[in-house]
Amino acid sequence: MANNDDATYEPAADPEDVGVTEHVPATVTQKSLNADILRMLERPGKIWWGVFLLDLTILAIALVAERNQIVRGIGVAGHTRPVMWASYVANFVFWVGIAHCGTLVSAILFLFRSHFRRAVYRVAEAMTVFGVMTAGLFPIIHLGRPWFPYWLFPYPNQRGLWPNFRSPLEWDVFAVTTYLTVSSIFFIVGIIPDAAVQRDAAKNRFHRLLGTIFSFGWRGGNYQWKHYYGAYLYFAAFATPLVLSVHSVVSWDFAMAQVPGWHSTIFAPYFVAGAIFSGVALVINLLIIIRKGYRLEHIVTVDHIEKLSKLVLLTSTIVGYSYLCEFFCAWYGPSVFERDMFWWRFTGHFWWASWIMFICNVIFPLALWFKSVRRNMTVLFILMLFVNVGMWFERFVIIVTSLAHPFNPANWGVNYRMSWTEAAILAGSFAWFGMYFLIFIRVLPAISIAEVKETLPPPMRRKHG
Amino acid sequence: MKLPKPILDLVDMINAGPKVKYRGVLGVFYYVDDVTDAVRTLRQTGLRDVRVYSPVPHHDIERALEQGQSIVRWVTLGGALLGITGGFSLCIYSVVSWPLVVGGKELISLPPFVVIGYESMILLGSLANLFGMLALTRLPEVKTSAPYDPRFSEDRIGLWVPCGGEEAVKVQEMMRGHGAEEVTLHA
Repeated sequence: MANNDDATYEPAADPEDVGVTEHVPATVTQKSLNADILRMLERPGKIWWGVFLLDLTILAIALVAERNQIVRGIGVAGHTRPVMWASYVANFVFWVGIAHCGTLVSAILFLFRSHFRRAVYRVAEAMTVFGVMTAGLFPIIHLGRPWFPYWLFPYPNQRGLWPNFRSPLEWDVFAVTTYLTVSSIFFIVGIIPDAAVQRDAAKNRFHRLLGTIFSFGWRGGNYQWKHYYGAYLYFAAFATPLVLSVHSVVSWDFAMAQVPGWHSTIFAPYFVAGAIFSGVALVINLLIIIRKGYRLEHIVTVDHIEKLSKLVLLTSTIVGYSYLCEFFCAWYGPSVFERDMFWWRFTGHFWWASWIMFICNVIFPLALWFKSVRRNMTVLFILMLFVNVGMWFERFVIIVTSLAHPFNPANWGVNYRMSWTEAAILAGSFAWFGMYFLIFIRVLPAISIAEVKETLPPPMRRKHG
Repeated sequence: MKLPKPILDLVDMINAGPKVKYRGVLGVFYYVDDVTDAVRTLRQTGLRDVRVYSPVPHHDIERALEQGQSIVRWVTLGGALLGITGGFSLCIYSVVSWPLVVGGKELISLPPFVVIGYESMILLGSLANLFGMLALTRLPEVKTSAPYDPRFSEDRIGLWVPCGGEEAVKVQEMMRGHGAEEVTLHA
């Protein structure tokens, strides 16, 4: 029998079988796809090692800062009355928000049959898992006694005490732990068929071992694909309402409180849109680096990036609308405190933070209306960095300005200053996230081989149709 | 850095997996329609217990095998129902076991418990979905019940028919007739 490796075949005409091939060039074959993606797992270069060592150094500084805080107390974080929640809570909300993109890309776009997700969803899912792992640290770091986080969980104890299930903070415990569990399951299940490719094609015995472990012995049998995709649909069906609920619950940490600037029904959709906005921006940054660094421009194409940047544009308009809506409600509503708070937010002590937020999240993304910007990787990369700076400041502004300007003028105060401990831990959160991401792209396929393969025309001897 | 030999031997042992003896015929195909034709022929001759290994799922093959829907959804539904019931029960039990009226509100105030019930439903539904899928796909599969070729995760499709004797010879001929690149008899 002739070797069919270089065979050319007529693309099958049945759209159900073929999927959409427009995003992957015709030069990509099943074999070349395996080789291109597994090439990422080969021996790391100097740039990877340099970035990894820098990352570990920042993380080490953050660990020193955390030790300082544990030994000397939470006071070293710079939190001063009335601002007792500051960058740690902002970091928590920021990283949970970052995590939202993964589920959007992997679950919601899966349910909508958006085929462009196939080349990009693994990076987004990894970002989700590592983002939640980073977010989950901050409530613990923010605890006065960080060795007691288990008190948050309901467990039978001698005193017969249970957590207060009416508290939004307890809802958060349930929402974030569920999100971490479900997104990790979704991530690991998605890797199974690709880990089997890694196991079968690895040149290194340790990469083969990782493939063996993460593939769970997957063989790609018909009985396996049937139940795998049966279950995958339900993971997506669960993850979609979950992603909407998690950031809604996070927003209720604020909205349920009687604080000017927080007590608003708009918070849940506003937070969800903001989360997707920042998450998609970061995934674009990561994809631009990966496709350039590993020469995967033919698999993660400009079309993919452009489609993601349209999502950024959409969510930016929702976020912008929410800002204006908040202002309108404060101006039109009956509460003088609310009106004063919003005026102070943009003209008071933290005016600079509010304007960074507004310009980065509303004004700069307007450039995405231009196709030339959406398809220019350098401009897009810089723009997405600004979006994430803006989104971090959004959380900072919501938390700090509202706490610094509550109902009672006697309590107004701007004594809060970010301490070096707090700044180091903020930088360390990026290093913590980066460490997992850098390791991930070295040990497991960062782009879904099986799903991209599904977009290729299946080899058919006869013309289909 | 060179790791000690016992560790390397252990890694190689895990990678190699257990040795298993098989009985049947394994065909390696390239074209999807060749496989579907072969599957249909085999099923017409009464050999219905066939397995197809492929790098991606193909609807044509599913149709040839007359595969129904996965039953994993029922396991998932069970988990989700257990989750929502458990979530509400936990909240209600906690306020009844330590009755403490706060702000004059009802002890059993269902609206705030919806969040806990909802998140528990998703958590247990997803876990049930995972365990249901693992059980039905027979994962983790350490000892395989059919031979496997690494090319099946690349670009080739495998067709395994458990059979022996005269029947195996006929199956081999049939596979070759349907365009198999390689046919191997395991006896």
